[in-house]
Amino acid sequence: MAAETAPAPLLRVAFVGKGGSGKSMISGTIVRLLGAAGEPVLALDSDPLPGLAFSVGIPQHDAGLPEEAVVERPEGEDGPRFRLAEDAVTLAERHARVGPDGVRFLQIGKAGSRAGGNQGRSLHAFRHVAAGLDDGPWHLVGDLPGGTRQPFFGWARWARLVLVVVEPVSASILTGRRLARLGQVEGGPRVVAVASKVDGPADTELVAGRTGLPVIAAVPHDPAVAAAERLGSAPLDHDPDAPAVQAVRSLLVSLRSAGGVA
Amino acid sequence: MKVAVVGKGGAGKTTTAAVVARTLSRLGGPVVALDCDTNANLGLSLGLGWDATDELADLRSDLAEGEVEHEPTWSGLVARFGSDAPDGVRLAVVNRIEDPEPG
Repeated sequence: MAAETAPAPLLRVAFVGKGGSGKSMISGTIVRLLGAAGEPVLALDSDPLPGLAFSVGIPQHDAGLPEEAVVERPEGEDGPRFRLAEDAVTLAERHARVGPDGVRFLQIGKAGSRAGGNQGRSLHAFRHVAAGLDDGPWHLVGDLPGGTRQPFFGWARWARLVLVVVEPVSASILTGRRLARLGQVEGGPRVVAVASKVDGPADTELVAGRTGLPVIAAVPHDPAVAAAERLGSAPLDHDPDAPAVQAVRSLLVSLRSAGGVA
Repeated sequence: MKVAVVGKGGAGKTTTAAVVARTLSRLGGPVVALDCDTNANLGLSLGLGWDATDELADLRSDLAEGEVEHEPTWSGLVARFGSDAPDGVRLAVVNRIEDPEPG
């Protein structure tokens, strides 16, 4: 049966939500689970604050793209001021770090970094590389900074599915409600919620009711995750059977069975 | 006294700022609380409620979309983009509105 042997589509998923809601934990764990299953996966970290590197388990927290990744338009020519020096897939292949389970990891330079160089060029490079990876051979899993700014300025346009991570607390729910508007843009991605740090079905219902988004997974409040985060370890390495990790495993299964669009 | 609270998302910035603002006000204010976050939630922690918090944020995004005129003065900003919160704290949403995209 052809339908059973056809390869599942590659994921193009971006995680957004309020700061501290659990975006990095969930996205980092998904990245590692894909890698452990032998699948090619590229993690895209566009948060100028540290986060995803910890949950993936990469000891590299500040390595943006070099400014040579973009070239400036010569004087007198038309067009945008900067363009990528090479195609996005080549740049991602060259500059992504390789982490545990063979996962690839690409990040923007971090705020307050001493790396120097032109942050603007590096940010531009990252954004345009991310936008040009659809033909690449990897699953794409993005972790955006907390809040509404990057998502509404088009940093997740490469994503076919946007997952809003929402804790059952007012500020996180209000943020989720704002982010739900991403899905109302014509031709925009599908937008769904993942309830995070929940203590039972009532919490999940609160997230669904107040954000108006379909909740496709509920990740429980889990002391094992808090312990991993205290140690700076990837939750998957700290306790692969922790309830929150199991919930992310289920989320990945349902994403894949739905062809990556939930 | 002029105090700014910064830190990573989820660290407790908004809660800290709100409690400091209301405590100062109870000690004899006056206090202006400035929400500089593009995802403005300080109203929730001050006790302003969901709807008022959202209205202030929406007013600010209308400005970003050019639907309302900019406010040139400090006192005008606090009046236009502000609301009265409990304990006499005046909250104003004054986040940056321009597109941060480089290049």
